[in-house]
This record gives sequence, structure tokens and C-alpha cells, in this order.
Amino acid sequence: MDDLIAARATMAFSLGFHIIFAAIGMTMPFFMSAAHWLYLKRGDEVYLELTKMWVKGVAILFAVGAVSGTVLSFELGLLWPGFMQHAGPIIGMPFSWEGTAFFIEAVAIGLFLYGRKKMNPWVHWWTGVAVGISGFVSGIFVVAANSWMNTPAGFDWVNGVAQNIDPVAAMFNRAWLHETIHMQLAALQAVGFAVGGIHALLYLRGRAPRLNLKAMKIALTFGAAAAILQPFAGHFAGQRVAELQPAKLAAMEGHFETGRRAPLYIGGIPDVETRTMKWGIPLPGMLSFIAHNDINAEVTGLDKFPREDWPPVVIVHVAFQIMVAIGSVMAAVGGLFFWFWRKRDFPRWFLWVLAASMPLGMIAIEAGWVVTEVGRQPWIVYGIMRTKEAVTPVPGMVYHFYLFVGLYLSLAAATVWLMGRQIMMVQTRLSGGAK
Amino acid sequence: MMIDILVFFIGASLLLYVLLGGSDYGAGILELLPAGKLREQQKLVINDAMGPVWEANHMWLILIVVILFMGFPTIFTTLMISLHIPMLALLVGIVVRGTAFTFRHYDAVQEPKSQRVYTVLFSVSSLWTAVWLGIIVASLNRGIIDPRAKDVWTAYFAPWWGLYPLAVGGFVACIFGFLACIYLVDETTDTALAKRFMRHAAVFNGLVIAAGGLVFAASLGERESLPVTFFKNPLTLGVMGVATLLFVALWFFIKRHHVWLTRVIAAGQVSLILLGWWLLYAPNALITAKGPLGFYAMAAPPATLRQLVLALVVGSFFIFPSLIFLLRVFKLKRSK
Ligand code: HDD
Ligand code: HEM
Ligand code: HEM
Repeated sequence: MDDLIAARATMAFSLGFHIIFAAIGMTMPFFMSAAHWLYLKRGDEVYLELTKMWVKGVAILFAVGAVSGTVLSFELGLLWPGFMQHAGPIIGMPFSWEGTAFFIEAVAIGLFLYGRKKMNPWVHWWTGVAVGISGFVSGIFVVAANSWMNTPAGFDWVNGVAQNIDPVAAMFNRAWLHETIHMQLAALQAVGFAVGGIHALLYLRGRAPRLNLKAMKIALTFGAAAAILQPFAGHFAGQRVAELQPAKLAAMEGHFETGRRAPLYIGGIPDVETRTMKWGIPLPGMLSFIAHNDINAEVTGLDKFPREDWPPVVIVHVAFQIMVAIGSVMAAVGGLFFWFWRKRDFPRWFLWVLAASMPLGMIAIEAGWVVTEVGRQPWIVYGIMRTKEAVTPVPGMVYHFYLFVGLYLSLAAATVWLMGRQIMMVQTRLSGGAK
Repeated sequence: MMIDILVFFIGASLLLYVLLGGSDYGAGILELLPAGKLREQQKLVINDAMGPVWEANHMWLILIVVILFMGFPTIFTTLMISLHIPMLALLVGIVVRGTAFTFRHYDAVQEPKSQRVYTVLFSVSSLWTAVWLGIIVASLNRGIIDPRAKDVWTAYFAPWWGLYPLAVGGFVACIFGFLACIYLVDETTDTALAKRFMRHAAVFNGLVIAAGGLVFAASLGERESLPVTFFKNPLTLGVMGVATLLFVALWFFIKRHHVWLTRVIAAGQVSLILLGWWLLYAPNALITAKGPLGFYAMAAPPATLRQLVLALVVGSFFIFPSLIFLLRVFKLKRSK
């Protein structure tokens, strides 16, 4: 591995790790607040049990999110000093607001986790909501920083130096809206399905059925609603990408030749050598329609870009297909969830479907970020600075990579093991208590 | 003006990180000392004392990083290139201690074997991280940092290598341990344990003085030794003198079990040490082989600085009240 590849792999790995915990940190507080609200309103102890149980898990996941986030804020400089040198002053603003949001979040989580017996119940409830809101807002700020890398704005690039910097314009660049909407929905959806799926599984196993059913409903109310909205948000994102980053869109769709009535492929592997799509099912005109609302519109292909400016086509295409396939499935499952809920009966096969959907959202999040970030290559700042110009001069980046792979894999294993223990422990206790 | 405010925020964050976050490190370091029968109880006290606040205490470090990379990008990138290796070591430590602490506290099954593993990881990594923090701080002003150097040793090892940074690392670890003992005394109602914390405070106090001496001795091998630097800076000399004199007051109040005064004096001492160090070098952030890199010369364009100051000032209106609320809920109630 050369140093550039190692640095990219390290960044990808650290971000891909962090995003899982960040998504949980942004959304679980809402689920817990909902459960706790129901407890305070209805006085049903089972909701209190549920909040307490979630709190235990979230405390652990939150800590992993916090430390891996800390690593990222250093890694921006450790790996990409050439980038931060110029980008820091331009996109630091969302990071600085994010810092404030994290601070409030960190304080509020302390209060929420440890303060139940020390505060007025509603003040305590509000600290939970505050964790959620500040986490959610901080997520929006970071993604806005990322969107700037895709559609740089708020400066003039004069002889390799940024001038006339306007951090506000940089933050509200043309990609911020679609990226933030799509990401925040993704977090709700992924975590809602993961949590809902776990409780569906426990319910099927006959453990504490009342609690698990309620837990499943709370989590999936958020998750299913987001899943139903997500294809619209994704479509909006696709149209913006078609306009703003045509090379990325072409890679996503494996679209080599510029032309009208461009086909949309279902499945398939792009062959970069022959510039053709293998094994895909073409839907003529659909790509033109999706990208520009008109089946006869012209869609820019990769042929309009010099070969060295192509992103890795196969990776981007496959990741995109995975995301869209999962998005479609989850939207359907989300719709069914509300349908069965209205009929007041969840058939067992559907609960098994929910259990099987547990990891889907997280997979789609990872795939989506691969689309966005690998699709941006070879640019670190689209059209302005190449990734290879930004990388650190420090040699031996592979060791940095191995170090973090080792560290994070151990951490992931420990976390999974702990979560398993947590769930077994609480569920056994609850089942014993004939709840 | 903007830059003054930002430098103030960096200094203040650093101070708060040392005073608040530092004592969390110290708690881990403390657990390395033999505790006999009181070990289990000490652990519970530390869990309770740190649990609600450690994430908030940790945020001061992030704040410094963000201010640096937005407001002073050249300083940030120089640090991240030349001190890549100590930064990595620091990060590993941060990851391990944060998670080990939380795992220990929240593991649903509290059994001795896994608890022991968490404790070892937490305390060893607390010491490790504190030492690396000191090494990084010591490396800032040695005049060795040279990001343009061609050979690997000069560029990436020499800046932080040597006895002097290591001595500063040890010094920092001792200060953290000292702070932790002083803070923890009031976190327990058990008199035996409180006595133990007092005794350990004395141990760390001695260690701080010894390590301080070591730092001075090690600095004789540096380009400019500390005694020389100090005599060029009477202000620092005065501040450090006051810090040393405060030991007398500290012991007086410890003997009389004045918990709050002891805390205030200990925090004051540490603040003075930091202030003395700050006065030596500010407004230079780094002294590299090519000369100093100052906050004023290296600042980002004004539009950026305005936004950063705005975020920090507005943020402070949210952060400080919520932080005070947090401390009131968890810290003040206990001491009546
Ligand atoms: C639960 C997760 C999830 C699901 C089900 C979907 N996505 Fe997505 N997608 C993401 C999670 C995600 C993401 C991880 O959150 C990304 C990465 C960057 C971003 O803003 O969102 C993303 C990026 C992303 C982009 C690139 C945006 C850019 O580079 O600026 C497009 C075009 C789409 N998505 C389109 C879709 C479509 C058409 C979907 C159909 C259902 C879809 N996504 C489902
Ligand atoms: C947490 C969600 C994110 C994920 C999973 C993610 C994923 C990735 C991946 C896979 C890469 C490697 C691309 C390649 O080299 O082929 C990458 C690169 C990078 N990302 Fe992201 N990204 C995320 C968010 C962000 C954010 C919020 C920023 C901040 C501004 C950011 C900044 C970067 C930088 C600086 C690089 C390295 C340069 C490059 O390879 O282009 N990312 N990311
Ligand atoms: C380069 C990119 C990123 C950096 C530098 C970064 C930095 C950080 C830091 C320093 C923390 C710790 C805060 C604390 O101590 O409480 C954190 C946690 C968090 N991050 Fe990130 N982050 C990045 C990417 C992202 C992305 C893409 C998202 C979401 C879309 C995100 C959402 C969060 C959330 C919600 C938390 C708090 C919840 C938790 O700790 O689990 N971050 N991040």
C-alpha cells in the first residue's frame, strides 16, 4: 500500500466506524425520550424499564462515538494537512458550531444518564430531548462540512490560495441541503430498524413480550417513517448530483457515453476497459427521467471527462446499487409496519422480516457514504484540489492504518460482546419478573 | 482584537482541560497505586465522580483542536505533521481510556475478571495519555520542529524525542494525579477512603516537586535551558514562585480538612504553573527550527476569525450555564 492509499483507507475506515455510533448517538436519545415520555404520561412501569435498558446500552455506544469522533478531528490534520491548510478557515465554521452542539450534548447526556433521581422528572426528560437535538444538529453541521468538499463555495481560488473567504456561503453550499436531509433520515431509519429488529427478535424468542413489543413500536415509528420518506430524499439527492457533480452521477449509474434517452441499469457491473455495462437490465430513458425529469434529456457520461478524472466506477456503481436496493426494500417494510399496526396485529412472518432487516440501514449508510466520498475522487475538494495534493508527507502511513484497524476492530468486538451481555442480562431479569 | 479573543479561548480551554479533564486522567493514574482493601470502594467513588462529567471535560480538547484548525491552520498542520507520532499515541490512549472507563461502569455483568481488565486498561492508558500530552506540550517550544526537513528522524522523531519531553510528561501525570486526589476527597463519605485520598495527595505532591526538579535538570540539555529562560522572564519566575509558596497554604488547609479551600488552592497552583508556562511563550504557539510561529502572524483571514469568535461567544452562552448546571447537580449537592 502506498502512503496515499493507506491514508485514504485510514480515513475511510475511521469515518465508516464513527458513523455507526454517530447515527446511534443522534437518534437513540429521541427513542429514549419517547419511551420516557410515555412513562411519565401513562405511569406504566414497563416504559421506565425500557428507558433504563436503553440508557445502559447508549452510554456505552455514546462513549465509542465520542472517542472515535475525537480521533477524526485529529485525523483531518494528521492525514490531510494540505487540505486543512486551505479548508480549515473556509469550513471550520460548521465544525465550530458543531463543537458547541457537542458540548451541550455531552453535558446533557451526563445529566440524562445519571441525574434521574436528582432532578425534577420533566427537567430530566428535557435533558434527554436536549441530547437528541444537539446530536442531531451537530450531525447536520458535520455533513454540511462534507458537502462543501463536494460543491466548494464561499471563496475564490487564486493561484492555489483561497481568497475572499466567506464561511457562511461555504457552509450553505449547494450540496448541504440534500446531504443533510438524506443523512438525518438515514440515521433515523438505520437505528430505528436496528433497534426495532432486535426487539422483534427478542419478542419472537418469547422474552418479555410486552416490553419488547412496545420497544419495537417506538423504534420503528421513527425508523419506518424515515424509511418511507427516504426514497424521495434520495431522488432529490440524485438530481442535485446530476447537476453538480456529473462525473459522480455517471459513475453511480455506470453511464459511459453522453446521450439522450439514457438508460437506467438495474444491477450490472461496469466494465471500465470496454466502457460498457455488463449484465445489467437496462430501462431505456429512465436515467434521463430520474436525473432531469424528462426521458429525452441528455445525461453527461464519463466520456466527457479525462480518464484521470474518473472516480473508481465499479465501487461507486455497486455501492449505489446496494443503497438503492436496500432503500426500496426498507420503504416497503416500513409501509407494511404501519399497515399491520393499524390492523393491530403483527404476523410472525413479518416480525421475522423485521428481525432480518436489522442491519440493512447501517449497510445502506456505509454504501451511501462510499458513493459520496469515493464518487468525489480524485478530488478532495471537487474541481479544486486533488486528494494526492492534500496527503501528509509523513511516511509509513500503512502503520497508521494497521494501528487503527487493530484498535477499532478490537473495540468493535468488545462493544458487540458487551451489548450481547447487556441484552441477555436485562431480558433474563425481565422475563423472570413475568412482565 | 479577534485574535486576542481566540488566544484567550485557547488558553482558557487548555486551563479547563487540565483542571477538569486532568483530574479524570489523575483518577486513572491513582488506581495504579496499591489500594488494598479499599480498591473496590475507590473504584466506585471514581466511577460516580467521573461518570457524569468525563465527556464534557473531554470537550475542551476538541475545542482547542477546532479553534486551531479553523483560526490558525498553519499552526495546526505543522503540529499534525511534525508531531504525528505523539499525536497518534495520544489518540490511542484517548480511545482506550474513554471506552475502558465506560465499559467498566456500564458492563451489565459486574464480575471481577472483566472488571480487572477494564481497570488495568483504564489506568495504564490514563498514565500513557497524560505522559504523551506532556511530551506534546514540551515539544512545542524546543526549536526543533522542522516540517520541511528531508530525513525522517529530523522531521518526525527529533521534535519530541529526548529526556526533557519525557520529564514534562511525567510532571503532567503527577499533577493530574495530585488534582484527582484533592478533588476526590470530598466525593466519598467514607473516612478511611478520604484519608487514603489525602495520603495519596501528599504522595503526588512530593512526586510533582520531584518531577519538577527533573524537568529543570533535563532542560539543561535543551537549546535553551529552563533556568536561563526563567531569568529572562521575571514575570514567570514570580508566578512560579507563588505557585510553590502555595504548597505551604495547601498543607495548612489539608491538615484542617478545609475541603473547598484545598480544592481552590490546588486548582490555583496548577493554573499558576500553566500561566507561567504560557507567559514564557505566548503569543508564540510554536518555536520551530526556522523561528517562532505566532498566533498573530499565522491567523486565518478576518472573515473566518469573525465567524469563529461569534460561534465561541454565542456557544459560551449555552455551554457555561449548562456546565454549571451539570456541576451543581452532581458536585455541589454532595458537599452540603
Ligand atoms: C439508510 C440509509 C440510506 C438509504 C436507504 C438510502 N441512502 Fe442514499 N445515502 C445515504 C444513506 C441512504 C447516506 C449514507 O446518508 C449518504 C452519503 C452522503 C449523504 O449525504 O447521504 C447517501 C448518499 C446518496 C447520494 C449521493 C449524494 C451526494 O453525493 O451528494 C445519492 C444520489 C443517494 N444517496 C440516493 C439514494 C436513493 C435514490 C435512495 C433510494 C432509496 C437512497 N439513496 C437510499
Ligand atoms: C461519517 C460519514 C462519512 C463516511 C462514512 C465517509 C467515508 C469516506 C470514505 C469511504 C472516504 C475514502 C474515499 C477514497 O479515498 O476513495 C473518505 C474520504 C474523506 N472524507 Fe469522508 N466520509 C464521511 C463524512 C465525512 C465528513 C463529515 C468529512 C468532513 C469534512 C469527511 C472528510 C473526508 C476527507 C478529508 C477524506 C479524505 C480525502 C479523500 O479521500 O478524498 N468525510 N470518506
Ligand atoms: C470528519 C468528520 C467528523 C469529525 C471530525 C467528527 C468529530 C466528532 C467528535 C469530536 C465527537 C465527540 C463529541 C463528544 O465528545 O461528545 C463526535 C461525536 C459525534 N459525531 Fe462526529 N465527527 C465527524 C463525522 C460525523 C458525521 C458524518 C456525523 C453524522 C452525520 C457525526 C455525528 C456525530 C454525533 C451525533 C456525535 C455524538 C454522538 C456520539 O458520540 O455517539 N460525526 N464527532
